[in-house]
Amino acid sequence: MFHNSSQKKYWIFKSEDELEHMRCKANQKFRNKALESGKKPGVSESMFLQRHEEDVLFRHYERRLLEFCNAFKPTMPKSVVGTALMYFRRFYLSNSVMEYHPRIIMLTCTYLACKVDEFNVSCTQFVGNLVQETPAGQERVLEQILEYELLLIQQLNFHLVVHNPYRPMEGLLIDLKTRYPTLESPESLRKTADDFLTQAAMTDAGLLFSPSQIALTAILNSASRAGLNMESYLTQCLGLKEEKETLSKMYDSMRRMKTLLKKYEPPKLEEVNISKQRLERIHAEFASSSK
Amino acid sequence: MICGRDHGDQNTAQIVDLGFTLHRRRRNRLLKSVVQTEMDEQGCPRCKTTKYRNPSLKLMVNVCGHTLCENCVEMLFVRGSSNCVQCDTPLRKSNFRVQLFEDPTVDKEVEIRKKVLKIYNKRDFDFPSLREYNDYLEQVEDIVYNLTNNVDVENTKLRMEQYQRENRDVIQRNKAKLTREQEELEELLLQEQQSNEQRRLEVLQEEQRQLQAKRKNKQALLDELEQSQLPATLLLAQHKVRAAQLETQIEQQKQAVKPTSLFSTGIHMRQTVSLQPVTKIEDVLYHYRPLQVETYGPPVPELEQLGRLGYLNHVRAAVTQDTAGGYTSGLACYRAIQDAFSGLFPLRG
Repeated sequence: MFHNSSQKKYWIFKSEDELEHMRCKANQKFRNKALESGKKPGVSESMFLQRHEEDVLFRHYERRLLEFCNAFKPTMPKSVVGTALMYFRRFYLSNSVMEYHPRIIMLTCTYLACKVDEFNVSCTQFVGNLVQETPAGQERVLEQILEYELLLIQQLNFHLVVHNPYRPMEGLLIDLKTRYPTLESPESLRKTADDFLTQAAMTDAGLLFSPSQIALTAILNSASRAGLNMESYLTQCLGLKEEKETLSKMYDSMRRMKTLLKKYEPPKLEEVNISKQRLERIHAEFASSSK
Repeated sequence: MICGRDHGDQNTAQIVDLGFTLHRRRRNRLLKSVVQTEMDEQGCPRCKTTKYRNPSLKLMVNVCGHTLCENCVEMLFVRGSSNCVQCDTPLRKSNFRVQLFEDPTVDKEVEIRKKVLKIYNKRDFDFPSLREYNDYLEQVEDIVYNLTNNVDVENTKLRMEQYQRENRDVIQRNKAKLTREQEELEELLLQEQQSNEQRRLEVLQEEQRQLQAKRKNKQALLDELEQSQLPATLLLAQHKVRAAQLETQIEQQKQAVKPTSLFSTGIHMRQTVSLQPVTKIEDVLYHYRPLQVETYGPPVPELEQLGRLGYLNHVRAAVTQDTAGGYTSGLACYRAIQDAFSGLFPLRG
């Protein structure tokens, strides 16, 4: 369960600043490493990616990951997609995109997530979904995936179980239907809540809040969108009538989460292209030396 | 294995510290099982054909590690010239030993090892710690390796001589101890053999006696039939009775177990057991306390209560195929509720 999981112990952080700090550290670490490993001609500080460029690339490849998973044959369950996204996010918390190209890491994350979540696809079936490659190209990609798999597991600190908010959402809907007759049709909330969860997966919400909190926020959000007031649910059914402090804290986290979602903007194409070019240059420079 | 070593890498010796040593004698016994068995795999390098034609011909190996069949050895030393055919090192006839292993280098190493261990014969109790013992063994392996593969032979020989000079008395002491141990072992073996022999003889004698008794009985019957006045049937009946008696006697002797005074668990046979009740041991009574787990969320209803509370109405009912394995819809419902409530409340403070 989530309350005694490694996710709660090691992968829930206090604030977005902490996350940003970790990402800056990863960026800095790569810069130091690259500068130290021999002063090659043509290497300069300005070649490295800035934090915001890294961010743009990260979001771009995250979308690509989502598209890949949605186009996957056979249909990938939502929990697998969520796990893959979480792996991708956790990996780039302590590593820089300049060091490991997101194109491969994204496929490795999906591959590992399929295995961990027991969505069994053979590796050939997996790379068969990369429709734009030739079979030979798919073989090469597969080799690369297998190369990076162990690295990915290591960087996740071997904490492979990820709790996604989908099941908590189902549980909350069941609870609403059983104990909260004030709300007539909780099923109508499902669609919007689902969208909320998909959007939340593209933000840092998974690293800051527990999955049940995310699910609850999703449901309350869709309820307020539909104009329904669900405060009595929290006070009565969840037993928070006396606990004013807990209640206020929960509202606080929900507000923070909504802000996170609002802040998210899909990356712009020109920015992505520029950053991609620079990324390819960096990889061409350093990939041969850092192997 | 005594301190296995990676011979392939000469610069960085990888010492495998196994923490125990295999006794020399045991190791030799193990190695002896790898004895040359195929008759026509190896050929004598000098006369080549003789080996195949004569399967009983033995190969001899010498200090330089090269093999020669018996005939060739004789011929080589008849002529008086005594150099190895392949490597031209000067040899003596006494240096040739019958080959035990398929690979002559193994034989060479075994010879060298025997010689080295005559000098380096310290044992594990001569050292204060396991680490030092293993270091010593590593030294020995170094020396044997050097001598076998002709690496740095001069220095190695010097080292050996120096060691010999320094530890002369220890070597002597250990030699004496070794011979004593060997003698003791041999004595034990001899004793065992002798007692086996005795037992065998006894059994044979017993059998002989029984056979003789039977024969005497038969003879007695025949004599009586000849001489006695009683009718033949009576005599036969008597004879039968006597034969049966003899049989039971033999049976009893066979089953006569040596009386022992101990049960197999070690308790004496005459020991009486007290039938008093065992003394009571007072101890604290165990109270069951259910496990408390902090879930950071609202309390979850029990699995059994889910139906009554109405949760199961909102879960997909279990199909008959599912229930075969023990699945109930309550299980899925319970898991969903647990997940929904776990970690719902703020995690810190």
